[in-house]
Amino acid sequence: MSQEVIRVEDLTLHYEERQKPVLSHLNFSIDEGENVLILGPSGSGKSSLTHCLNGLYPRELDGSMKGEVYVKGRRTDSYPAGEMAQNVGVVFQDPETQFCMITVEDEVAFGLENLNTPYELMVEKVDTALRSVGMEAYKTANISELSGGQKQKVALACILAMEPEVLILDEPTANLDPVARKEFIQLLKRLKKELAFTLVVIEHKLEGWLDLLERVLIIHEDGELAYDGPLHDHLKTYALDIHEMGIQLPYATRRALEQEWTPPYPLHIGEMPAVAFPENPPAKSAGKVLLKAEDVHWKSILRNIHITFHEGEWVAIVGENGSGKSSLSRILAGIQSPSKGTVSLHGRSLKKWKENEMRKEVGYVFQNPEHQFITDTVYEEVAFSLRHAGMKEAEWTKIVEETLKFCRLDGLEEQHPFLLSQGQKRRLSVATMIVEDQQMLFLDEPTFGQDEKSTSDLMSLLKEKHENGTTIVMITHDMELVDKYATRVLVMNEGELSFDDQPKELWALPDLVDHHLELPPREQWKRAVWKREEPAYVSS
Amino acid sequence: MNSWKLKEIVVMSVLSVVFAVVYLAFLPVGKILVGFFGPIGYDLIFGIWFIVSIIAAYIIRKPGAAFLSETIAAAVEVLLGNAVGPMLLVSGMIQGLGAESAFAMTRYKRYDLFTLMLAGVMAAVFSFVWGYFLSGYAALSTGYVAAMFIARIISGAIISGVAGKALSDALAKTGVLSSFALGKEHRRKHAA
Amino acid sequence: MFLHDLNPTVKALTIIGAVFLLAFVFDPVTPLLYIVWTVLVTFLFGTFKKRYYLYYFIPFTLFAFGMFWTTIVFSDTASATSETVSFLGMEFPTEDIWTAAALGLRVLAFASLSLLFLFTTNMVHFILSLIQQLKLPPKIAYGVLAGYRFLPMLKTEFQQIRAAHRIRGVNRPDSWKEKLLQYQRFAIPLLAGAIRKAERTAIAMESKGFTGAKARTFYRPMRVQWKDWLFPVMMFGMLGVTIAVLLYFGYFSWYDGQL
Ligand SMILES: Nc1ncnc2c1ncn2[C@@H]1O[C@H](COP(=O)(O)OP(=O)(O)OP(=O)(O)O)[C@@H](O)[C@H]1O
Ligand SMILES: Nc1ncnc2c1ncn2[C@@H]1O[C@H](COP(=O)(O)OP(=O)(O)OP(=O)(O)O)[C@@H](O)[C@H]1O
Ligand SMILES: [Mg+2]
Ligand SMILES: [Mg+2]
Repeated sequence: MSQEVIRVEDLTLHYEERQKPVLSHLNFSIDEGENVLILGPSGSGKSSLTHCLNGLYPRELDGSMKGEVYVKGRRTDSYPAGEMAQNVGVVFQDPETQFCMITVEDEVAFGLENLNTPYELMVEKVDTALRSVGMEAYKTANISELSGGQKQKVALACILAMEPEVLILDEPTANLDPVARKEFIQLLKRLKKELAFTLVVIEHKLEGWLDLLERVLIIHEDGELAYDGPLHDHLKTYALDIHEMGIQLPYATRRALEQEWTPPYPLHIGEMPAVAFPENPPAKSAGKVLLKAEDVHWKSILRNIHITFHEGEWVAIVGENGSGKSSLSRILAGIQSPSKGTVSLHGRSLKKWKENEMRKEVGYVFQNPEHQFITDTVYEEVAFSLRHAGMKEAEWTKIVEETLKFCRLDGLEEQHPFLLSQGQKRRLSVATMIVEDQQMLFLDEPTFGQDEKSTSDLMSLLKEKHENGTTIVMITHDMELVDKYATRVLVMNEGELSFDDQPKELWALPDLVDHHLELPPREQWKRAVWKREEPAYVSS
Repeated sequence: MNSWKLKEIVVMSVLSVVFAVVYLAFLPVGKILVGFFGPIGYDLIFGIWFIVSIIAAYIIRKPGAAFLSETIAAAVEVLLGNAVGPMLLVSGMIQGLGAESAFAMTRYKRYDLFTLMLAGVMAAVFSFVWGYFLSGYAALSTGYVAAMFIARIISGAIISGVAGKALSDALAKTGVLSSFALGKEHRRKHAA
Repeated sequence: MFLHDLNPTVKALTIIGAVFLLAFVFDPVTPLLYIVWTVLVTFLFGTFKKRYYLYYFIPFTLFAFGMFWTTIVFSDTASATSETVSFLGMEFPTEDIWTAAALGLRVLAFASLSLLFLFTTNMVHFILSLIQQLKLPPKIAYGVLAGYRFLPMLKTEFQQIRAAHRIRGVNRPDSWKEKLLQYQRFAIPLLAGAIRKAERTAIAMESKGFTGAKARTFYRPMRVQWKDWLFPVMMFGMLGVTIAVLLYFGYFSWYDGQL
């Protein structure tokens, strides 16, 4: 008989200054050793729930929290602050702000010091934790110099080292490359076996998690619990409902819904029937040369980069975490100057462009949305550049309102951008860029942390822009997006450009995994079908 | 120190770090002014160098905020490389004590414009006395020293008191201070 | 290598002590000799990029020279003696020059001492040592460390905000007024963002079990060993020797209300 570790009774959470509750009347309990997935559209209060579970709320809350949360039969507010950390460990959504030390090892040790771990044991545990997330090579590195994905791994190592009984991960793979993501899930599986903790994961992408997480809690947009039960069976039957809530289903299930097949729906590609599959989008013929990078180097991070971008292209930049994608895009967009080499726009070196003129041509969405916010409210943020564009007031207010609605930010106009949920921040940062009409748009992981609905809305918007002539350069870890939209794909590998061609050529490469990439689900399906069609005697 | 929340300490030290950079950035400005007016040049803008103690005290409203924030800012300045070196740490502490004394006089109850300006003035007075000893102002003529003193006091009242308040109020408007004393006061005022 | 291994608290206290003593010295020769000594110690017992040292040292020299010059020009002429030195066609009292040189060199001596500390000390180790040796409350110490971590972040943050402004089409400022307005537009988001992040950092620290309790173990134990005492002995000893020698030759003077 397994024991109950977490019990939530009639939990309702209000933030100050917001009429509607973020979470309302939640009731559930989690048993020891269970693996639970929490799903819900962006802004539904998932991250807020984690704060309730580890006792941060109501202590740190501005607002009100009603109902009870018990951990191991004891109310969370009756725990001394330090003891809670051994019971419930949380890896928060934004890795950037979880650190208080300078170097990786000090950070991992910080939690252990808090637990009064003896020195010798601590040294050992720091090494073990770093090894288990594959970051041992970065032990003495400065945290501020890690890439987004690397930070996520360090954040996990910090919590793992403390060996909590319940591990809560808030979108732990949002910034990881496909291989790292797979490895991460594998790692959790292995650790589960070794350490037998209770696992709670918040995710938007179900792909890959299905065989680890058996139970799912679905939180509705209005903060109510919409479903609590086994994941597989529910998905097989009620995929449509989940889809309509804005949650991203596995590829197989999504295709099945699109084709209006009847339940039970397939969950894995292997379960899909061998029917015709769509082809790659036709590669659009490229226009004039727009942007050209020649022999670009940056610090020791980028080497020998030669790229030419043409009008009308949709370029995806992919590659391993820390391979230099963000760095490259910043240089291409003229935010950072290369230490050697030149980037030229319309044949003129970026150095010679007047800033204002150039910005009318090139837009950029940062990987960390917070880097982009320069005003106090959501509304002002979107209105900002329009205000400066010398448009009539009536005109721009209309555009702002439309954009806010489109990005599902209506109702949050007066909110400070930093108070938004991670997904909302992302949408806001994109919204600020799409109100203008640049010829070329750089987006650094535009869809990370987004639910299905925002992703598809955003992509269809980009598509529309692309059809109207905007050249799009997008960094992403999502091969499905590359497959579906990109006309060209660049692969970064340890600071060098190792591939530059159409996506279908990339999929044909034999060593995809070495580039930390995977096949998009469509290709996987295609190959699965081919395999099945092969005469049986060949394989036996 | 137990009445302090960790959140308040971290925010305070982040403010100190930010302003340490600002302080360093204003040193060359001071040097230019010194070039024009002689040593009094520094005194004209001396208020800048107290601003974090006023801002931190005004936002957090706990005993020690003014002193600690100024001390941390000075420590960071030293770490970033500053001509006066470790002595600056002492100067920072003394300035912080000056500002702190004004808040202590109100028993940490009043945080209106007057108190903030007073804090600026006290910081100026304390720092001037220290400076008199340390940098040998006595070598200068009495009239000039008096002018320096008055300039510094005014600068403390205006730049650190008035401008510090304005900056903090602008910050409170963004809502990021909602869980700090100043933010709560703002909310009460808005609700009323 | 010896300077890097020193206990940071012992090193800091020694330097503060030396600075304090030097503040009472009022002749130019003592600080000059002591500067030479400090720089020598720094170069002999520290490993760092020498170029950076110069890069830091030069502005201090300029500052010290500025101090020298202003003290002469704005000095209290009433107390001047009859002896003068002429320079660039102007007459200056020797006594003033003597004091001015003392003040200027003193600044340089402070600078060389603090550079010794800066170039050979790891900040984190220093704060950890303050907790372990001077019993600084961990709540403050780690709060400060967390804040200190924002320093490199602030730089990128500042660049990012500037880039964001540029990207969003904020004009380059043409006038002083616009420039000021621009700074305000920078300041608020920069501070607001920093505060938000600081708050989240604090929350993350607490959920890693940090309570501020004094009882905790350390990943980097800081100890004071016998060889740590070598440094204060060396630094104070040299100061004593210098003073003694100068006293003997009559160059030395204490602060005794002059100025
Ligand atoms: N500290 C806060 N103060 C006020 N409002 C907040 C605060 N934190 C979150 N919110 C608001 O509460 C709502 C829920 O936020 P939360 O971060 O819990 O969502 P989420 O489900 O994790 O979303 P995502 O999937 O995008 O991360 C959002 O609308 C957000 O704007
Ligand atoms: N300011 C910096 N100084 C020094 N090194 C840096 C800096 N910024 C990034 N790096 C390093 O450069 C490499 C590339 O970083 P970059 O952020 O471009 O990676 P990325 O490909 O975007 O990764 P991710 O997919 O995780 O976002 C990383 O190894 C990182 O540690
Ligand atoms: Mg969230
Ligand atoms: Mg990146």
